[in-house]
Order: sequence, then C-alpha cells, then structure tokens
Amino acid sequence: MASVESDLRDEGVALEPVPQVAHRAAAAGRTHFRRFTAFQRWVHFFIMVSFSILVLTGMPLKYSDQAWAQTWMGVIGGVQNAGVFHRFAAMIMVSCVICMLGFFVLVLFKSKGRFWGPGTMVPNWQDYQDLKAMLGWFVGKRSRPHLHLDRYAYYEKGEFWAASAGVSIMCVTGAILWYPEVAGRYLPGIVINFALVNHSGGALLAMGFVVVFWHFFHAHLRPETFPMDKAMYAGGLPLEEYAHERPLEYERRVREGTLEEVLVAPVSERRMKIQNVVWWIITGAALLLWAVFSLFVVWVASLWIGSF
Amino acid sequence: MTPRTVLTAALGLALLAVVAVAAPAGAAEFDLAQGANGRCLECHEKPDLGTIEVNGEQKSLTVTGDTFHDSVHSRLDCTACHSGFQAREHTAEETEGWYEQAKLTACGDCHADQFAMYRGSFHGGLVVGQNDSRAPSCSDCHGSHRIISPRAPEFRESVLDMCGRCHGEKSETYLDTYHGKSFNMGETSTAVCTDCHGYHEILPASNPDSTVSKQNVVATCGKCHESSSARFASFLVHVDRSTPHSSLWVWLMEMSHSILIGVLFAFGGLHCFLYFYRGLREGLYQRG
Repeated sequence: MASVESDLRDEGVALEPVPQVAHRAAAAGRTHFRRFTAFQRWVHFFIMVSFSILVLTGMPLKYSDQAWAQTWMGVIGGVQNAGVFHRFAAMIMVSCVICMLGFFVLVLFKSKGRFWGPGTMVPNWQDYQDLKAMLGWFVGKRSRPHLHLDRYAYYEKGEFWAASAGVSIMCVTGAILWYPEVAGRYLPGIVINFALVNHSGGALLAMGFVVVFWHFFHAHLRPETFPMDKAMYAGGLPLEEYAHERPLEYERRVREGTLEEVLVAPVSERRMKIQNVVWWIITGAALLLWAVFSLFVVWVASLWIGSF
Repeated sequence: MTPRTVLTAALGLALLAVVAVAAPAGAAEFDLAQGANGRCLECHEKPDLGTIEVNGEQKSLTVTGDTFHDSVHSRLDCTACHSGFQAREHTAEETEGWYEQAKLTACGDCHADQFAMYRGSFHGGLVVGQNDSRAPSCSDCHGSHRIISPRAPEFRESVLDMCGRCHGEKSETYLDTYHGKSFNMGETSTAVCTDCHGYHEILPASNPDSTVSKQNVVATCGKCHESSSARFASFLVHVDRSTPHSSLWVWLMEMSHSILIGVLFAFGGLHCFLYFYRGLREGLYQRG
C-alpha cells in the first residue's frame, strides 16, 4: 500500500504523556474512561426496544397487500392489537425524546451555551476530511486511515442527525395519524395525506438507512467494534484503549484538566459476567432482527428495481 | 402455533360438532324440490343442461340444492322470480329478454322500498332510465340464486371486490389508505365502500344529495369520526400516489421520498459494504 499523504495521523498516534491525575485515579481503581452515562445507556435501551416494536407492528401495514405481512399481522393479533402495541411503543419513544431534549438543555446550561465545537454532535471540517479519507480507502486509493477522532466520529454524527430528523418527522406525522380529527380541525385535510406518505417513507428510511446500513454496521459489524461496542452496556472502557480510539477527546480533556471527571472504576468481574450473558442475549436477538430487516431491505430494493 | 390458531382450530372443531348434530335435521327440512319447484327440478337438476347467455355472461342451466341451501330465498318458488315460465321445455317467447324484464320487476315486487331507492340512484337511473346494461342491477351485487343477507360478514367482506369489478381504480386507491390497509389485514370493522357511499341510493359526489357531496361528507365521516369537520373531511381518500394527475402535492411528496430513499440507501449500502469488504481483505476481523 502506498504511504499516507494526508493530514490524518497513522497508527502511531502520539499521545500526550499520561497525566498525573490519571495515575492517581488508576491507583484508586478508576482505570476506565466513561463513554456513556447510565442515563444515556438506559435511553439507548428503551429506544432500541420501542424502535423494534414500532417496526414490527407498523411495517406489515405499509405492505398490507403482501402475504408475509398478512401472516405476521395474524401472529401479532390483528390490526387493532398492532395499533395498541404501536402506540404504546410510540409513547416510550416519545418519552426518550423528551428525556434527551431535557439532557440537551442541561448540557447547554452546564457548558454555558457552548452547543458546538469539539466534542459535540455538530459536524466540522475534520469530519469531512475523515469521510474523504475513508472513502479513499474504500475505493483503494489510499491505505487505511487511522481517524484522529474526537468524542464522535463523522458516522456517529451523521446517524445522530439522520435519526433526529427522522424521529421528529415520525413523531409529528404519527400524532396526526393518531388524532386525524384534531389535526383536521386546524389544518387542511391534505395534511393527513402528507402525514401518511411521510410516516410510511420515514419508517422505511429509519429502518433501512439508519438501522440496517448505518447503526448496526457501525456499532456492531465494522472491524473495529465487531461484534459489539461494549461501552454501550459497560459504560466505560480502558483509558488507553479510549485514548487510542478517540485521541482528540483525550488530549482535549488532558489539556482542559477535565479528564478526572470521566475516569471511573470498571464494572466488577462478577457483574461483568452477568452483564455479558444478558447483553449477548439481547445482542443476539438484535442481530437476528437485523438479519430480518436486512432481508426486508433487499426485498424492498428488488421491488423498487423491478418497478422500472 | 399461535394462541389465535389454537383458538380458531378449537372453534372450528366445536362448529363441526354442532353441524354434525344439526345437519340431518336441517337436511330433512330443506328440500329445494318442495311443492311446485319439483316440476322445475325434474329437468334443471340434470348436470349436462348447458348454458344460457344472460347479460353477456354464460350461466349454467343446472340448479342444485347446494346453490340454494344458504340463500335467504331458499324457500321461494322458482316462479317467484322466474315468472311466466311454464313447466315444459321453455319457448323462445318465455326466455328471450326475460332477464331484461326481470331485473326491473322481479326484486321490486317484494322489496319495493329498496327498489325505489335504487331507482333514484345513479346506478338505478342508468339501468331503469337509460337501459344501460353496464350499470349494475340488483343481482350484480346481491347475486341471483345464492342471495346472502347483506348483514352477513361474508357480504361485507365481498363489498370491495363487488364495487371493484367496475371501479377497479377506486378500490386500488382505497387499499392505499388506512381503511383499506386494515381491511386487507382482515379488519372488517373498518370503513368499506358502502359505509361512505351508501348502497341502494349511491349518487356521484357532484349531486348535493350524495353521501359524499360537499354538503353531506362531514356527516358521513362523522358516523365513525365523532369530531369530524370540513377540513378533516377534505382528506383525499382516493389518491394515486404514483401519478401527478391524481394530486400534484401528494405525488411531489412521494417522489421526493423515493429519491431520498434511493440516494441514502445507495450511499449507506456502499459505505457499509465497502467498509466490510476492506476490513475482510485486510484481515481486520482476525484478532488476538
């Protein structure tokens, strides 16, 4: 492979020397970097569960003329029952959205109004450089780049904004379809038609693009995380590992002296063992669901191509 | 096996048991050949009678008890509808034009109210007033020999196909709405054609007396949607999303979705497949 000629650093990332605070924390058993707080992990869990229920009860209606959809609808107890499950899951999802919005407001106050910049979800020039380098690697134009990542990579930011836009549309259109008479009191009737088109198209995008192609691949199936990123349930990962994976955040925290805030003790061996079993079951189910979703996306694509 | 299939199977078995007990008694009671009908069946029971053209359709001349046993008309004399026929080989005088005459009189003799409503409808106006054989007469929707109650679930389930025989495009667009989708999924309590358009008295939306006219549509939706309003009722039920001619705005929205889905699926698919491919080729999945 040709040598790297970009501004991206390679395997030998020069980390700043491990600061004194980290040594002291490690001596006290706090050897791990806290990637996700308990709050974030629980929100993730509930989004995962409600999203799956929403897809499983909603998709058969979108493809109501298909034999598989009619069979599946029979299994889950008919349209009326599916509607109840769908609305119940929607309430869970909406609760998660409200929690996240509350969380953002909190961050906004704590960071004194700094909503963009390093460590936030707002895309920057570096993300564009990272994407360009990765695409170059994909098509064989350069060797594998070692991304010099801050807290979130471009693929995580992309997913976040895609999912945020998606969930906003789904919430609004879903509410219109839940209470069409109320919507009709204030808005013209064609808005209900728009809501149908958007709820149905948005569902396909959420499932196909956000989950099948994006989230599942980048959180489970890319070589760096395969088969899963344990930070989402363990909460933390070893400091050296994190510093290697996300050097910019590490360096920034060392520089700002905020590293100690995020150093935590790893989960105990025994608890880790239990967590491992529980999460392998959940991840196994999720992988199975992902396989079904993938087959579904292939089927939709073949329908689409066949329509020309 | 789902609880539903188990339940269905159990119900089916229970039903079979009931039928097995009740069937002999029922069979003894029902005899198509009773009274005057015996004379008709002497000939019409034969399996090889051939067919006759009625209103452009070939109909079998053979009549069996099977056709009738769950018909609400099973106790009627054949001649109640087939009036003027003598019990011998029928002459051309009897058969020629019989249907054209019968569709105007045979049902209305007993069902005068319904026939009067039908007469005033769009369909009835075409059939009775203009002798247009393309418009449906009573038997096109209700059947002829095997007439089931319009209150029977089976009748309700058949409504979409019934109307779709002529209004195919409308039943297609109906199936694209929430009503149609849930109907397709076996939910028969949802609105079907007749719930909005009526049945005997169907009129085009341009007629003020129509159930779906500007004046009445709010009340029609209001039969199920209690707080129906003019804006709510202006929802476009019969929209073909695949063409700009049906509703330009809905089509534009549908198109922009298709394009977005195409672009994002292509980008997302390529990004993850190439990532996976490179990872495999460079041995990044082998660890330890």
